[in-house]
Amino acid sequence: MGFFNKKKDKEKSKSSASPPIQVKDQNQNDRNALEIKLQDNISKIKDSLGKSADIIIREINLGKDGSIKAGIIYTDGLTDTPSLQNFILETLMIDTKVFEMQKKVTPERNLIGVLKDYAMTVGEITEITKFDVLLNDLLSGDTIILIDGYSQGLTISNKQWVERGVTEPTSQTVVRGPREGFSENVRVNTALIRRKVKDPNLWLESKVVGERTKTNVALMYINGIVNDKVVEEVRQRLDRITIDGILESGNIEELIQDAPLSPFPTVFNTERPDIVAAALLEGRVAILVDGTPFVLIVPALFIQFFQSSEDYYQRADIASLIRLLRFFAFIIALLAPALFIAVTTYHQAMLPPALLISLAAQREGVPFPAFIEAMIMEITFEILREAGVRMPRSIGSAMSIVGAFVIGTAAVEAGIISAMMVIVVSITAISSFVAPTYDIAIAVRMLRFAFMAIAATFGLYGITIGLIALILHLCSLRSFGVPYMSPVAPFNISDQKDTFIRLPKWKMFSRPRLINQQNEVRQQNSSSAKPKPTETKE
Amino acid sequence: MKKRMCILLSLSLLLTGCWDRRELNELAITLAMGIDKVDDEYRLTAQVVVPSEVSMQASTGRSAVTLFQATGETIYEAFRKMTKDSPRKIYPGHLRMLVIGEDLAREGLAESLELLSRDWELRSDFYVVIAKEKNAAEILNVTTTLEAIPANKMFSTLKTSETAWSGTNGITLDELITDLEVVGKEAVLTGITVSGDLEIGTSKQNIESITPAARIQYDNLAVFNKDKLVGWLTEEESRGYNDITNSVKNTVVSISCPKEGQASIEIIQFNSKLKGNVKKGKPEVDIDMEVKGNIGAVECEINLTELETIKELEKITEKRLEDVVTKTIESAQNRYQSDIFGFGTAIHRFNPKEWEKLKGQWEEEFSDLKVNVKVDVKLQRMGTIDNSFLEKLKD
Repeated sequence: MGFFNKKKDKEKSKSSASPPIQVKDQNQNDRNALEIKLQDNISKIKDSLGKSADIIIREINLGKDGSIKAGIIYTDGLTDTPSLQNFILETLMIDTKVFEMQKKVTPERNLIGVLKDYAMTVGEITEITKFDVLLNDLLSGDTIILIDGYSQGLTISNKQWVERGVTEPTSQTVVRGPREGFSENVRVNTALIRRKVKDPNLWLESKVVGERTKTNVALMYINGIVNDKVVEEVRQRLDRITIDGILESGNIEELIQDAPLSPFPTVFNTERPDIVAAALLEGRVAILVDGTPFVLIVPALFIQFFQSSEDYYQRADIASLIRLLRFFAFIIALLAPALFIAVTTYHQAMLPPALLISLAAQREGVPFPAFIEAMIMEITFEILREAGVRMPRSIGSAMSIVGAFVIGTAAVEAGIISAMMVIVVSITAISSFVAPTYDIAIAVRMLRFAFMAIAATFGLYGITIGLIALILHLCSLRSFGVPYMSPVAPFNISDQKDTFIRLPKWKMFSRPRLINQQNEVRQQNSSSAKPKPTETKE
Repeated sequence: MKKRMCILLSLSLLLTGCWDRRELNELAITLAMGIDKVDDEYRLTAQVVVPSEVSMQASTGRSAVTLFQATGETIYEAFRKMTKDSPRKIYPGHLRMLVIGEDLAREGLAESLELLSRDWELRSDFYVVIAKEKNAAEILNVTTTLEAIPANKMFSTLKTSETAWSGTNGITLDELITDLEVVGKEAVLTGITVSGDLEIGTSKQNIESITPAARIQYDNLAVFNKDKLVGWLTEEESRGYNDITNSVKNTVVSISCPKEGQASIEIIQFNSKLKGNVKKGKPEVDIDMEVKGNIGAVECEINLTELETIKELEKITEKRLEDVVTKTIESAQNRYQSDIFGFGTAIHRFNPKEWEKLKGQWEEEFSDLKVNVKVDVKLQRMGTIDNSFLEKLKD
């Protein structure tokens, strides 16, 4: 702990040395206000931004006789240059020559107000008087207009920068379902959700998190469906964050999750707008973070990590079977190597004689105990996987060839690994990819090693104790006030319709009970819900 | 609460540990064991699998099993002494066959079974058989075809013959011990023997030819009185025994035709019920057998298209089964005085009070017990042809 404290102290001293970016102090009110002289303002901006080359300051003269000095300031690369030229510069430099600006000036409305209300042909425009607001808007990509002789300015929103379009999400793919995924721009992302849910009750709250990055964070929920306590809780947790930077929603997730030390995720994340829309309709809250395509959804339940969006687009029967298969694969991924170690080193009596002899024959000449053997293979696989994720794509094929050698028959032929162990490790590896979300697969990956160790020292008995401990842990978790294991524990019969199996849509009358408490009805529970062919009379 | 649960769970791990951890290649997997009595000492023989020889790839052509032998005053002593010879500790968890030498069986086998039923490592569902006129070691020393591991051959042969031919009866250690304990039911065990040249039988040469020089075969049932072997049933009696104890699943009965020649009846469903009875202090047993069969083969002149003929065949079969059963009972009553059928337990079930009185002198009571046999045979199908083509052949 001492180490961390020291580091904190250092950071404190560093930040006190550099000039504070955000000036909140009441005493410094005067310094924060804009100057009356244009030149003073410009030099102040230059000082604050360290004469950064991408800050463009253009000084122009307006009015009929060009007597009014004005400055246009913007950040190159973040501003839409055509609109700057067509609508701002053109208006100011050409239109104001014919337009009698001074005549419009009244005691209530000064020149800045006249410009704003009569001249500028742009959409979003605001008056500013504070210097920190000016800097913030400037660095967000807005264009600032300052006029000599006024301690006021105008901000025109014409942000535009190069960004990735809406492409197919790569982390959660489906065979049937929408192909669009979120992008890095939070505005595009909220638009994608609005396109799916056109309810006026879909509310959006905006926040700025990160003292230096000033990242836009948006909260989305459907008012009237969402549990207000959850929204309030999310707001509070977001407000509690005081950090210099938020670069990805993962940063937020770590700062707001319920059980930071648990391997299990209590915040769901997705790249898919349809998943977010479905979650909103269930009464969850979405947290969108600017700069990342991954949107957070809370509260997140254990069962949610096994539900793919495709489950709801496919037929209910196959979706149910596939979901059961996922749970089965989850158990394999968690326990297969542990069970294999336990059975072959402690409980040989559990194997049929023919299988026992066959396994014993494979183990002849293998120099390692089964546990070490399994560890070698599992760690090799983890190395291969990690290498595969981080490597440039062009080297990928070379690695898969080498990888297949290491983990495959070569290891068996070399006599250091038994063939059965290769099979067990392979099926475990494949099973861990079955989970539709990556997060739960990570939890399984870590726990698998714990179970292998406990199996090697205590056998099946140890695995049983481990499972009891795991279930106790899972049942003790909560995500934003909702029990993590619901609707299994606490058991809720009505919510079983979408837990291990998925009933057809015409059978899903209510939203999940524990997430949502005020508007439970999805569709009226009437006989008309079930589709019926119209009767034809012969 | 959470802390207490954590402590409880981690403490419970201390109840176990890795002291009995064994890798698969540290086990001497024993599928068959034999017990003999040699000069007042037990001689234990273990047939241990050589895993690498069983697997398809690594086989070098050597024998798939190997024998380890040790003698000791007790079975347990001999069992542990075997490690003087075997590089790995004998692992009997998958034992399938226990062969007991006839000499030991005649002296009484109860003591030798005690360890096997007590040891935690052994299951008690392996078959127990008696080496007829042979040592157990000799039986385990014969190579077999089709199944590379002789123990598996013995196991499968007993299992198949038990279901397809009613002359043998697979008795597991559990069942044997129950029979030994209960008054009113004596034990039987199937005999096993080796025919042919024992010398060649022990080598690989034995299975290289089409006809093996020596082969392991099952014989008839051995009759016990308490834990001592008292004699052997004939083949017919063995089948009679299985008829009475309702252990027939599927078998074939040969009968003589009304005029001349033979016919075979395939029995597809066999159900026999024992009913004890005490009349005026005298015990009585009713055997009620319901048999369903098909006509398997007819080697005589007979008109199968008529219902009368079928009825006639049914009668003959009934008579035949009744004869066999009666003969078996007589043999058990007179020759061995051993209630192998469990008539005593049948009476116990029916009338526990009277049984308490009879229990003491059951052996004498059994010898002149009245047994009523009732057989009901129904023939259902007769295969793909009606009258035999043999008839036309004669014309």
